[in-house]
Amino acid sequence: MPSFEQLLEGFLYREGEPGLPGLQWLEDAPVPEASTVEAPHEYLAFQLTDETYAVPIERVREIVKVPVLTEVPRAAPELLGVMNLRGEVLPVYDVRARLLLTQQVKPVGGPEDVPSRSRIVVVRSDDGDAGILADAVEGVARLLPSLTEAAPPGGTQRPYLSGLSRRGERLYILLDVERVLE
Amino acid sequence: MSEKKPVTEFLAEATEIVEGLSRELVVLDEHRGEEPEPDRLNSIFRAAHSLKGLSSLFGHERITRLAHVLEDALDALRLGKVMADDALIDAFVDAVDALSGLLTMASRDESEGPAAERAVALAQHIESLLSQGPTPVEDPLKQLGLEPSVLHVLTEYEEHRLRENVKKGVTLYKVRAVFSLDDFDQRLTALTAALKAIAEVVSTLPSAQASDESHIGFDLLTACKQSAAELTRVLAPYGASHALISASTAPPRPRPSAPRPELGSSSELSLRSLAQTVRVDISRLDKLMAAVGDLLLTRSNIKRFAEGARAAGPGGLHPLWAQELAREARALERKLDDLQKGILEVRMVPLGQVFDRLARLVRRLLRESGKEIDFEISGGDVELDKLIVEDLSDPLMHLLRNAIDHGIETPEQRVAAGKSRRGRVRLYATSEGNHVKIEVGDDGAGLDEARIRDEALKRGLVTATKAPQMQRRELLNLVFLPGFSTRKQVSELSGRGVGLDVVKTNLQRLSGLIDIVSEPGQGTTFVLTLPLTLAIIRALVVQASGHTYAVPLNSVLEIVAVRPSELRTVEHRQMLSVRGQTVPFVRLSQLFKLPLVEVQQHYVVLVGLAQHRMGLAVDALLGQQDVVTKPLSARLRDVRGFAGATDLGDRRAVLVLDVPALVSEMMRPADAGMGNL
Repeated sequence: MPSFEQLLEGFLYREGEPGLPGLQWLEDAPVPEASTVEAPHEYLAFQLTDETYAVPIERVREIVKVPVLTEVPRAAPELLGVMNLRGEVLPVYDVRARLLLTQQVKPVGGPEDVPSRSRIVVVRSDDGDAGILADAVEGVARLLPSLTEAAPPGGTQRPYLSGLSRRGERLYILLDVERVLE
Repeated sequence: MSEKKPVTEFLAEATEIVEGLSRELVVLDEHRGEEPEPDRLNSIFRAAHSLKGLSSLFGHERITRLAHVLEDALDALRLGKVMADDALIDAFVDAVDALSGLLTMASRDESEGPAAERAVALAQHIESLLSQGPTPVEDPLKQLGLEPSVLHVLTEYEEHRLRENVKKGVTLYKVRAVFSLDDFDQRLTALTAALKAIAEVVSTLPSAQASDESHIGFDLLTACKQSAAELTRVLAPYGASHALISASTAPPRPRPSAPRPELGSSSELSLRSLAQTVRVDISRLDKLMAAVGDLLLTRSNIKRFAEGARAAGPGGLHPLWAQELAREARALERKLDDLQKGILEVRMVPLGQVFDRLARLVRRLLRESGKEIDFEISGGDVELDKLIVEDLSDPLMHLLRNAIDHGIETPEQRVAAGKSRRGRVRLYATSEGNHVKIEVGDDGAGLDEARIRDEALKRGLVTATKAPQMQRRELLNLVFLPGFSTRKQVSELSGRGVGLDVVKTNLQRLSGLIDIVSEPGQGTTFVLTLPLTLAIIRALVVQASGHTYAVPLNSVLEIVAVRPSELRTVEHRQMLSVRGQTVPFVRLSQLFKLPLVEVQQHYVVLVGLAQHRMGLAVDALLGQQDVVTKPLSARLRDVRGFAGATDLGDRRAVLVLDVPALVSEMMRPADAGMGNL
């Protein structure tokens, strides 16, 4: 039987906890003059290894701490397992290997297997909502469609990307949720 | 139970009809004095008719009688034989009340009471209203005050025209003209023509009151929309007079009042709907059940908090709070259990719903088969989840057809075998805890082992080396293979070799089991074992290689502990002997390709799928629990072997095994080598 504090820990976020997804605006660079009339799109930015990825904010259902994951035997290795999100059973994927960011998928059984900043980004998807393990969640980025370019040709992870977007010095890699979860 | 259920069903249906009747009558009541809409009358008539049929079927004579009288009255009404006057509508309203009263009596199983007397009185009252002749007082013709001598000579069409004109509010006149016998024909023709310009001449009658012998009088029944003055002007040249005979002058004669029966005490006149039933789409119940499932999880969490709070001691919550929390958690648990049970009960329907249909079909089959067979049926009151009951009718039909067609021999064969001429086919259901057992049996010749073996060999379903080693049970199970049939004659009843395959498939879908008990010369019995419900399942919680899984208990036959040394190997597959029966053995960890843990003994969960049995070994048994299975994401549809996931109360997702899928996987020849450690 875990202690009462441990049980509470599972429920609550503590103040000052690293990586608390307060979803602050990423105001790291001034909006270019030319684009003041253009409406920016909002993206959730998160880290996979040392790269910053982004998915349209309307795709994001919620962000949760890494819960205990249940391994599904005989499933694809990218599937870390299923999690129980308030009674709903959702698959959780590690897409880093698919994006060639890591060599292979490391099994994750629960919060103890990942750094404390890790989160699961629950995305909406036509094929059923799913969780994506992120190394950290950065926040919401406003990206201008005019500053979005196609993914660089030839990259092996290209099919999973819908483009690149810059904001000041920062580069956001736009993830195609449907394809990367296929 | 078996007595009570039909009553409930009757009440539900009858109440629905009476309520419909009442609704329509209210509208009729509101529009008193107007001509009732034909559609409404028809619908009331039909309702009365259905009620009559229904109540006579269930032997409620008083309801039948009153409904019958109502039906007659409404029939007369819709054919225009009687008018929907106040007396009749009052009687209808009273009749519906009386019907409600009778239904109340039926629901209380009473046979005598004021409601019954009132119903009898009302039936007579309505009959008396109807019996006042084919054209009772409400006939406009009667209100016209025409002499009987006139009425008698009118043709049916003339009567009809008179009625129509009265209905339309056209004023009727009796035009009296007296002509000389010399030229009366021309004069009458002229008068008629003149009248027709402004009126409708419905009938021309010779008048009995001629003034003298040289003259003849005529009465022209005329419907005139013009004013009386205009009529006078037209009639003047012919010396004719007119008299008003319109209904408007004739005061409506009060219906000779048949005393309206007393309505009885007000306590008997309840406005409450009688049959306390509602019809609910089963998917709504599914949703409720899912909600309860989620609540059960919340309950477990609260319980754990309560326990955790207590265990935390002085460092945690105040002990009194912890106690309170624990107490409330227990209360919640009890209430939720009640709620869950309640919803499950709502889903339950008696097997009789299917058995009745089957019985009718069987009787037909018996006539067609030409065999002498007694059909015995019992256990119709055993209750099962609605969805399961619905899916059972096809499999049971196939089994019964098989018994009648293939199982029972001809009378001659039976006599030759020293058996009674008449065969017996049984359909029995019994309730056994969490399961229901349904048996379809015959006392026929039994399954022919040798013929099954030959047929299986011929069809390449078994190898020549394997066939001789097969046990009787294994051989019998071959009949469930698609396309298998030992019957040389194709029967119109059973078709050829499709039935048992369908039976197996349907049962698998219902997580059911099927066993064949067959002795040569003694007969064959198919035993179907079904879970009570599929909504919440009881699961066995097991552990394999450190992972926790839930195994639906309705697939579990028994659990045995086996030492690794007790296993045998047959054709490279590990086998296990359980009570003389050899079943394939596999460790769940092997199936799931999990790292194998060395164990002193295996806990073997014997699982079944239709006719197949398999021993699934796990490392540990953790207990039993009621679970609501949540489907796995559509993304995981390619991952076989899991029916879904559930929460055992620790907010983790625990996978629920799909036993049918795992068993079929094991039974596939390609996986034959899997059992080899």
